[in-house]
Amino acid sequence: MSTTLTLANFAWKNAGRRRLRTCLTLCGIGMGIGAFVALVGFSRGFEHAWLEMYESSGTDLAVVQRTFMNTTVNQAAEGTLRSLPEVAAVSPMIINMMDVTPEVNALVYGWQADSFEFAALTLDQGRRLQDGHAEVMLGRLLAESLGKKAGDTMDIQGTTFLVAGVYHGGSALEAGAMIMPLDQLQTLASLEGKVTAFHVKLKPGDPGDLPEDRVRKAQAAIESALPGLRAVPAMERASNNQLVVLAHAAAWGTSAIALLVGMLGIANTMAMSVFERTQEIGVLRAMGWPARRVMTLILVEAAGLGLGGGLLGLLGGWVALRVLASLPKTASVVSTSLSPWTLTEALGIAVLVGLAAGVIPAWHAARLSPVEAIGHE
Amino acid sequence: MSDSLLEVQELRKSYEDGHIQALAGVDLKVRAGEFVSISGASGSGKSTLLHLLGGLDLPSSGKVLFQGRALGSEVDLDEYRSQHVGFIFQAFHLLPCLRAMENVQVPWLGGGLARSERGDRAEVLLREMGLGHRLMHYPGQLSAGERQRVAIARSLANNPDVLLADEPTGNLDSVNSAKIMEILVGLRASRGMTLIVVTHEDSIAESAPRHIRMRDGRILC
Repeated sequence: MSTTLTLANFAWKNAGRRRLRTCLTLCGIGMGIGAFVALVGFSRGFEHAWLEMYESSGTDLAVVQRTFMNTTVNQAAEGTLRSLPEVAAVSPMIINMMDVTPEVNALVYGWQADSFEFAALTLDQGRRLQDGHAEVMLGRLLAESLGKKAGDTMDIQGTTFLVAGVYHGGSALEAGAMIMPLDQLQTLASLEGKVTAFHVKLKPGDPGDLPEDRVRKAQAAIESALPGLRAVPAMERASNNQLVVLAHAAAWGTSAIALLVGMLGIANTMAMSVFERTQEIGVLRAMGWPARRVMTLILVEAAGLGLGGGLLGLLGGWVALRVLASLPKTASVVSTSLSPWTLTEALGIAVLVGLAAGVIPAWHAARLSPVEAIGHE
Repeated sequence: MSDSLLEVQELRKSYEDGHIQALAGVDLKVRAGEFVSISGASGSGKSTLLHLLGGLDLPSSGKVLFQGRALGSEVDLDEYRSQHVGFIFQAFHLLPCLRAMENVQVPWLGGGLARSERGDRAEVLLREMGLGHRLMHYPGQLSAGERQRVAIARSLANNPDVLLADEPTGNLDSVNSAKIMEILVGLRASRGMTLIVVTHEDSIAESAPRHIRMRDGRILC
């Protein structure tokens, strides 16, 4: 028959007193956490896919413009790069987001036919593309989405392209992407003589050389030979390229706004709850509860709301990612895999948001005079 | 060491910058185990005196001494309320979301009694109040008399030295009033507690061995 009351149990029962209000509050913070999980999860997946792309192709350095907003490099620098003793191979490349059909958006890579980056791909159908020809290779995911196979043609921005091959492998980005000859993409994107970056593969270092030293030495040599350009290690480029940086910024910015709205919801709920329970708080004080214990109770309730909303948000965010991954417009850049770190971080943020929202109501509750609180109607 | 359990010296309490004087210089000594009733008209200061005796508030001037030590300066008010005083209110003030068993355990949350002992101890207190059949009921499922008995069980949770009851029978019919007073008087006898009851009911006030009347913030006799 006996039942034991704990502070957490008490807080839980308090939250259950106004079920509709509690549910709406949970939905509010759940939406914020859901946005965080979906957007930050997406942007991290995007970053991870970039890293995979560099690792699978064997790229050691990416040579790009120094300035953030200038996204193209003069292709004429290729000769200088190839002449450097540290450099084994250079792949001038363009990356672009393009409306492949009115319904489908995809990442489009412009590579030269002899690019070392093809080494990471395995052909499922057809052949590798040729420079100077209006042809493309499709990632398996994109080919399925478009219903195309090797030998088919497709119209891209007024030009008919032959699907030369379908490939798999590489990274998630490449699986949903299209590759076309660099010269063709330069024409389509009005970027004649320009590239987004040079991907550089370095020669093996001397025995005993640390890989980091080899990369650092090559960086210095490239930047000295090509003033105005920056040689970025592949891992850093995966995190710091414009697309990833913008994706992170948009994800965090949007999530922060959604979380702020959720936080205000919890703060409102807790403020109302403290107001409605003023008399009860007075009785708790009369029973000898110190102010800090009253504060703890309110904070536990607020953190509990944050945690509950966080769990709801994890589910919502995961569903949102699944939906985005199934839409033609976004399928090529969205991964449904969420890292344990993102999930832990989301729950941690949810609890912190709850605690932050509960601070003022808890402080107010703790400051109530026992006599005035008991007399409150 | 004073021979009084509770003593008030020249106690004054005013509100609104001194415009309202609830207590106008009260002196009182209460010995351990004594049963004292306090009566008076509305606004006479009896509830204010009870609140100050219970450490719910601090006086504007004067002192409340517990075992010879001043509340607020020498005795921490939270500690005093949690270890030495039990409150009983006219409106019961049970927490509606908690069962009778759980209401009794509220004073122990955050310390006071080991978690493993709380349930059993609450059950013993409720059975002592004749509520063995109502352990798992919520306040809304109990009669007024039963609610007040749960509140009494809760006030006993920390085995206090003093029970302070503010109009404990104010919301009860005569049968339940008599029963509650019987319980309170019985507790005083069995546990040796000091019992101070504020009431406007003459029969209850006069049943106490010591009856204090108040008017305009002063003790009349």
